[in-house]
Amino acid sequence: MEIIFYVLAALMILSACGVVFLKKPVHSALSLLFNMVLTAILYLAYLKAPFVAVVQVIVYMGAVVVFVLFVIMLVDLANGGFVEVIRVPRFFAAFVVAFVLLIQFLFLAGFIRGDIPIVSDYIHGDKLAELIFTKYALPFEVVSILIFSAVVGAVAMAKKKL
Amino acid sequence: MLRMEVIYGLSLIMFVIGFFGILVRRNAIVMFLSIELMLNSVNILFVAISKASGALDGQVIALFVMAIAAGEAAIGMAIITSYYRKKGNVDIDRAQLLRW
Repeated sequence: MEIIFYVLAALMILSACGVVFLKKPVHSALSLLFNMVLTAILYLAYLKAPFVAVVQVIVYMGAVVVFVLFVIMLVDLANGGFVEVIRVPRFFAAFVVAFVLLIQFLFLAGFIRGDIPIVSDYIHGDKLAELIFTKYALPFEVVSILIFSAVVGAVAMAKKKL
Repeated sequence: MLRMEVIYGLSLIMFVIGFFGILVRRNAIVMFLSIELMLNSVNILFVAISKASGALDGQVIALFVMAIAAGEAAIGMAIITSYYRKKGNVDIDRAQLLRW
């Protein structure tokens, strides 16, 4: 069981590196899709959160990545005369900054210790729905307005002439 | 039994990889994908801490993060297509309309 988790974690880190380091954006998007699948498996198998896993599959893989693939299809990358070369100074500067961030994260996470209770039963949608429609009712409605205005704004920006 | 710290560490490493991608890539679409990667790793952290502490709030917040990521995808892709229509490529280094 633990071995399988480490294989999963290694594949997740590998696909995350694929998003960053693969040359073509289509390959990056497909690598992100793979990462999302593995995340859903992690939610389902190890974190006992099937509802979040289902929403992950529907929203991220069904909407966001497909959206990105459509835009990659519309934007002609080969014809733009744009071959991406990662320059060495930028690579080193980014590496130093990211490494410092990782060290800070690990330093912070070192304080997360102590007895961690293990909740073994799965958490299904009904419990989440209770919480969403009572404690988080106002943020829920605000998010609906936010998404509506985001879609209207996207259409307004993508039009040729307003 | 699996220690939760391992999942926290996995999430942090994925976040840093996405951050590195933001810093090092110039293609706007790949930078956007890196942002999605960072949001995803934060979701993993929320759900893991929710499981460790027994409170469900983390999962609910993860759902809100997903909703906002979807809205962000709509806006971001609209910006990228309109930028491409203006400039003919998606190179972030050449985005200097508002620079000086």
